[in-house]
Amino acid sequence: MLGASIQSLNSAILWINPTLIILITLPTTSAFPATVNHLDSGLTLIHHPMPTTPVVVADVWVNAGARAEPDDWTGMAHFLEHMIFKGTETLLPGQFDYAIEAQGGTSNAATSHDYAHFYMTVAAAHLADTLPHLADLVLHAAIPADEFVRERHVVLEELRQSQDDPDWLGLQALSEQVYPSHPYGRSVLGAVEHLEGFSPETMRQFHRAHYQPENMTVVIAGGIALEPALEIMRHSFRGFPVATDCPAPSDSKAQRWQGVRRQTLHLPRLEQARLLMAWCGPGMAQLDDACGMDLLSALLAEGRSSRLVRELREERQWVLDISSGFSLQKDASLFTLQAWLTPDKITAVETLICDRLAELTYVPIDAAELARAKRLLCNDFAFSTETPGQLAGLYGYYSMVGDPADSYTYTERVQAHTGLSLAALAQRFLSPDSYAATVLLPQG
Amino acid sequence: MATSLSPVRPQLHRTVLDNGLVVLVTENPVADIVAARLFVRAGTGHEQVAESGLFALMTALLTKGTDRFSSMEIAEQVESLGASLSSDTSADYSLLSLKTVSADFEPMLSLAAHLLRSPTFPEAELDLEQRLTLQSIRSMQEQPFTVAYNALRAAMYGDHPYARPGIGTAETVSSFTQTQLQHVHATYFRPDNLVISICGRISPEQAVDLVTTYLGEWQAPVDPIPELVYPNLPNQPSQQVIPQDTNQSIVIVGYQAPPVKHPIYAVLKLISTYLGNGLSSRLFVELREKRGLAYDVSAFYPTRLGMSQFVAYMGTAPDNAEIALEGLRYETERLVTESLTPEELATTKSKLLGQYALGKQTNTQIAQLLGWYEVLGLGTGFDQGFQAAIAAITLEELQAAAQDCFLAPYTVQLGPAQ
Repeated sequence: MLGASIQSLNSAILWINPTLIILITLPTTSAFPATVNHLDSGLTLIHHPMPTTPVVVADVWVNAGARAEPDDWTGMAHFLEHMIFKGTETLLPGQFDYAIEAQGGTSNAATSHDYAHFYMTVAAAHLADTLPHLADLVLHAAIPADEFVRERHVVLEELRQSQDDPDWLGLQALSEQVYPSHPYGRSVLGAVEHLEGFSPETMRQFHRAHYQPENMTVVIAGGIALEPALEIMRHSFRGFPVATDCPAPSDSKAQRWQGVRRQTLHLPRLEQARLLMAWCGPGMAQLDDACGMDLLSALLAEGRSSRLVRELREERQWVLDISSGFSLQKDASLFTLQAWLTPDKITAVETLICDRLAELTYVPIDAAELARAKRLLCNDFAFSTETPGQLAGLYGYYSMVGDPADSYTYTERVQAHTGLSLAALAQRFLSPDSYAATVLLPQG
Repeated sequence: MATSLSPVRPQLHRTVLDNGLVVLVTENPVADIVAARLFVRAGTGHEQVAESGLFALMTALLTKGTDRFSSMEIAEQVESLGASLSSDTSADYSLLSLKTVSADFEPMLSLAAHLLRSPTFPEAELDLEQRLTLQSIRSMQEQPFTVAYNALRAAMYGDHPYARPGIGTAETVSSFTQTQLQHVHATYFRPDNLVISICGRISPEQAVDLVTTYLGEWQAPVDPIPELVYPNLPNQPSQQVIPQDTNQSIVIVGYQAPPVKHPIYAVLKLISTYLGNGLSSRLFVELREKRGLAYDVSAFYPTRLGMSQFVAYMGTAPDNAEIALEGLRYETERLVTESLTPEELATTKSKLLGQYALGKQTNTQIAQLLGWYEVLGLGTGFDQGFQAAIAAITLEELQAAAQDCFLAPYTVQLGPAQ
């Protein structure tokens, strides 16, 4: 959902931390509770004070995800995200990590198609002596040659691990079907042959071209007031690299299509068949529509009383489980339905889903059902703005794909939908005749 | 320094009702949210071999029918409020979890109390849940780490209930009957075996009143709660090699390790942080940063009422599996003979205490942690006592704990046959 889990389905994190999430303040109104500040350098700071927490999250968002890669540079944005942590002229590899963690803080990073971001959680009192280091890493990455070669092995391990995960493989194959001529169809992790061809110099070129102030938003949320935050920011983010040219991504479009795109993958070690279906939905420019798609997703398959879960899992018992997903990206969104089932039920389930989608367009949606979906999404939004880390994620994401202030229009936009507006969206975006289907079957 | 990450700590209120039910309340008015965890002091650790998966199935069915509501009526009540309600079982406890906006807390608590007391385990729902569970058991085979870890656990625990995944096996799960579920529910789900931990925008008086209203009249049976006796653990370390056609090999090393009430519990938590937690941890730096052997490499030491395990693991290219195993063992067992530097000790303490503070700041996290400590019988002072214990650990104690623990590794390597 847009509110609750804004990370794209296809994003990769730097390291897996099984434990963390942080604090505690729920905005009481739906007015945008943060401020957006434009620094002289061209950099944007979004600040959200939370006086009751002793923690500060600083999250640096860069408009340089896999979307920015030329066709034969796949994996560059994500590999660079790893190399950012390998030091600068003044910071040795690992020195930043040690400094943060030795004070009880944490740091991490992630890359998706529309962005890469780098974040840390520290005690408020430590922001002034740690943010300059995070800024130094992001702005002045040295990308040393020996570290480059070693880290490539790490990235290749990440890729190997993903390739052993049938759900990752399925989603990847589905994305390629939906976006055959757009970078959203490619894996953020990239192709092995591209990764092996990169040099530190090409990576520095990509870095200097994209890691520029006008491409960056820093979010600071937590126990710090605006003035000191601005002061620390100005001091930290200095000396941006001189911008260099870099091959641009090819001009590509995310387009809807006519007819059914279908593929079947036979995977080793698969115990459970999957049916994945996807539609290309509205992008950030049509945010009202996107919020409506989120409602349709909840209505169809969020919770046991939702339409498809109730009918397919509880009543007919044709599926082991079914879930929906709506992932909003800048250029276009991805609406998915995924069912875990036995191979003999695939055709029946697909047919029934198409029938139920068609029904959405001509049978009025019950008022109670609509109210349920709205309440679910609005509460989820409230539950996901509890901590500075969640807020930093929300603002940063919106600032990369649209306007940060739009983050707090979410519940309003959800509430504004009616049965009729949803029927119109279903008609427009969830065609039972035009979609992508990926089926996963056991090998042999 | 790390203590500065702790917020002004809300006060914990502990009340015991006349029927033995323990209510923990932490008032936290900041967000308009209330989270509650309803713990029962029994989980998969109470299962005999033939009962493996019984608690998981029983708790899954708690929300699938009562003497008043059908499964779908329960789902509709929860979802129409936009609340979350789920049930789960773990090694040492079973659990109903709920989260609501404050105004909806009473109807949700009322429902949860009813689910705890009056489930009927309808035959049709039992059949469906059994089928779904059998499929989930098969699906576990798709995840290489899960397959490898299940093999490690089986070797390390033998006849002990911690040997088995909580979900059970195909044989046991398909054998369960409604009568068995009713029996295990009646045996362990009783007020004197229950802890309710509540955190959020609610006063202790309100919270205790509500729990009293909905569960105060529930009387415990006269029969005592059956005592838990664990079988002995195996003492024959094994080295397993599991051939699987994977892209990556999974390498795991496990050492038998003491329960939460043992004096060296805090020391091993500190060692686990030193080796496995974060970008500056020893395993991460030595095996990932310096040698590029892995993406995911870490260590963990679960908090358990019975014997626990200390586990280090990584995923690596099949050609590297041998050196990965050597590397994991070397870094862990090195602590038997080599002392950390005083600086390493100090920074590891800061790291653990800082992350401990960061890990209990949402209402859900606080309700979970404090309820869990109560269920394990650790007392309300444990939260503070544990942090004090960490701060007091010496280099000598750390080495002594390593010498006690890191002697006889059980290992698993899963990957393509060499």
